[in-house]
Amino acid sequence: MKLFFALLQQMSVFLVIAYLFSKSPAFRPLTGETLRPKHKVLLYFIFSAFSILGTYFGLPINDAIANTRAIGAVLAGIIGGPLLGTAVGFTGGLHRYTLGGFTAFSCGVSTTVEGLFGGLVHLYLVRKGRSEQVFSPGIAFATAFCAEALQMIIILVLSRPFANAMALVDVIALPMMFANSAGAALFVSIIRDQKNMYDKFGAIFSARALKVAERTLGLLSKGFAPETPDELAKIIHQETGVGAVAITDREKVLAFVGNGSDHHRPGNPISSELTRRAIRENKVIYADGVRERFTCALKDKCGLGSALVVPLRLDNEVVGTIKLYEPKHKLFLNLNRTLGEGIAGLLSEQLLRSRYEEQKNLLIKSELKLIQAQINPHFLFNAINTIVAVLRKDTERARDLLLHLSNIFRKNLKRSEDLATLEEELDHVRSYLKIERARFEDRLVVERDIDPTLLGLKIPTFTLQPIIENAIKHGISGILEQGVVKLAARRENNRVVITIEDNAGTYCNEGACEGLGMNLVDKRIKNLCGERFGISVTCTPQEWTRIAIAFPAEGCQPS
Amino acid sequence: MIRALIVDDELHAREELQIMLQEIGAFEVIGSCANALEALKVIYRERPEVLFLDIQMPVLNGFELLSMIDPDLMPHVVFVTAYDTYALKAFEEKTLDYLLKPVEKKRLEKTIEKVLRALQETAHPLYESPGIRRIPCVFANRIKLIAPQEVELVRSELSGVHVVGPKGEFFTDLTLRVLETRTDLVRCHKQYLVNLDQIDEIVLLENGLGEIHTKSGRVVPVSRRYLKTLRDSLKL
Repeated sequence: MKLFFALLQQMSVFLVIAYLFSKSPAFRPLTGETLRPKHKVLLYFIFSAFSILGTYFGLPINDAIANTRAIGAVLAGIIGGPLLGTAVGFTGGLHRYTLGGFTAFSCGVSTTVEGLFGGLVHLYLVRKGRSEQVFSPGIAFATAFCAEALQMIIILVLSRPFANAMALVDVIALPMMFANSAGAALFVSIIRDQKNMYDKFGAIFSARALKVAERTLGLLSKGFAPETPDELAKIIHQETGVGAVAITDREKVLAFVGNGSDHHRPGNPISSELTRRAIRENKVIYADGVRERFTCALKDKCGLGSALVVPLRLDNEVVGTIKLYEPKHKLFLNLNRTLGEGIAGLLSEQLLRSRYEEQKNLLIKSELKLIQAQINPHFLFNAINTIVAVLRKDTERARDLLLHLSNIFRKNLKRSEDLATLEEELDHVRSYLKIERARFEDRLVVERDIDPTLLGLKIPTFTLQPIIENAIKHGISGILEQGVVKLAARRENNRVVITIEDNAGTYCNEGACEGLGMNLVDKRIKNLCGERFGISVTCTPQEWTRIAIAFPAEGCQPS
Repeated sequence: MIRALIVDDELHAREELQIMLQEIGAFEVIGSCANALEALKVIYRERPEVLFLDIQMPVLNGFELLSMIDPDLMPHVVFVTAYDTYALKAFEEKTLDYLLKPVEKKRLEKTIEKVLRALQETAHPLYESPGIRRIPCVFANRIKLIAPQEVELVRSELSGVHVVGPKGEFFTDLTLRVLETRTDLVRCHKQYLVNLDQIDEIVLLENGLGEIHTKSGRVVPVSRRYLKTLRDSLKL
């Protein structure tokens, strides 16, 4: 009984060392899912050391040593497989052999066998698909128990004289079997707890990173607006829990949230040398608050003591920084440092994407301008010529036409918005048609069939006018007969369809030259209302051309 | 008084120019036409001395109209256009003048001086004009445009000039002379033009006459006078 307690005591020392080990960096390999050869070598040394320690801490009894050597070998086997188990067992056994005594040989052999036995249990568990049980204390207990039982048998078989061996086993068998099993189980449970903690820690970290990613992506997908940096800073501040968060461009602070926001104001020029250095050298600058301190250049009593400055890059050029601060009394968590760098990387990606989107929109806008610029001089000339001629005969009508002309140009200038109601579009078109009707007189007739419930529908600006202009310029104006333009808007199969039909039927002959304006309108509709909508053209040569423009039933939503 | 014709597809433009010309007083506006086809008829009928011609018009544009006017009737031509899309400078040499709409009175007076001077030199100027790509024909109440290469033969009768192609016979306002000079059709008889690519065989008759059989089996007479030129064009 005394021996039993002595072994337990010895085991406790052992467990303290195991606990310390679990807190050391050497433990890291065990937190992974699979062991690499490099890690196995490390584990070999660690477990061999445990095994040898087990022998040293042992109590000499009857020219033999009651010990906890088996724990190292068995665990090495269970965790690392037969090879590692055997290697550790052999090392521990060899060491025991060199210490002498009548059980030297049998103990050497048995320790090796115990390591191998642990390894076989590992193999068994893996083959059965129960590898998660490798870190089960129960399995460790049972394995160590059986292994020790095996050792007793080996001692009985190999040690001479048999009577001495029998006497020894009689004394040490139970205490050693229990002590080693309990030790192995506790050791494994320490490892398992530590491992779980790592996993949980990783999961929390991942969850936070994903949450930040999700929230910032949502924000940035709406494009980069003036208030975006402020909202971004708020999100990062909330999710990381750091003392303060700032976002800057290359010159000034765009947003600041958290401690010190009383004197770190958005709009201020960048005051911190750290930030300027991060921008200049295009690298992450970290002032941990111990070796390098963050000192506020604005206010002596600023509570912030450490900072991480991560450059925001666009095409590898620094366009700004994200800064995470902690107050003087708080340590800058390594976790937040990694998170901060990750967020900056994510934002850089997003910036690139939103710039791409912005450029795409700009391109469409400038194409639209180009079309207007192309059309306007001709239209203007024709309109002025008509008005000059009408002026001589009918000043009242000329006045009316001038007002319509002014309406058209005012709207062209004023409407920078993407969307307008159908009514506004029709008003624009009405003025346009008034002038064209004056130009062509009875050569142009316009028929309208507009469902009045659709007047409030939102559609992209400058959708109708270019199409009608096409119908007149490339259709009606080219035929000798009277030209008829039919303009209709109605609901159709859960969509709204606006049709513009002329009786020239020239689209099929010269579709190519109408391409630019029409493609652009189509592109804009697809861009603003969805890919399913836009323009389709049908035509019978010399008879009619029909342009159908489809919109969502509920109109297009402002982005 | 100089007899002028205005051709423009826009009513107000025609009226405006007419009023200005009348105000200046040197002109008698004998008509104003809304398209080239109308104009062609009036030109043949009224033989104006000056043509104020818009370029952009339905079906046939101003340049095409020019190429369809018989050289013997060719009036002096002033282009009137709303914008300089046609690199008008290049045509300045080829026609008398060009005016940009809205027409300024002072500018118009300059043009009139030019017209008066030109009229003293010659009644019918010679303008370079491109070949005819499409022959305007009247069919029922429609205008049909036939490419010269599709034409088999052109026949002139008392009732007018008929263009014969695979789709039938169509009446045209163009004269044989214009078609002869501005297309690849070849004169084979006082009253006939033929498309050389459509000839199947030429049968030589007595008295130096001949007969052309076209690929579709139509027969075209060849007069003594034109047999030689026909041979020359066919390099026989």
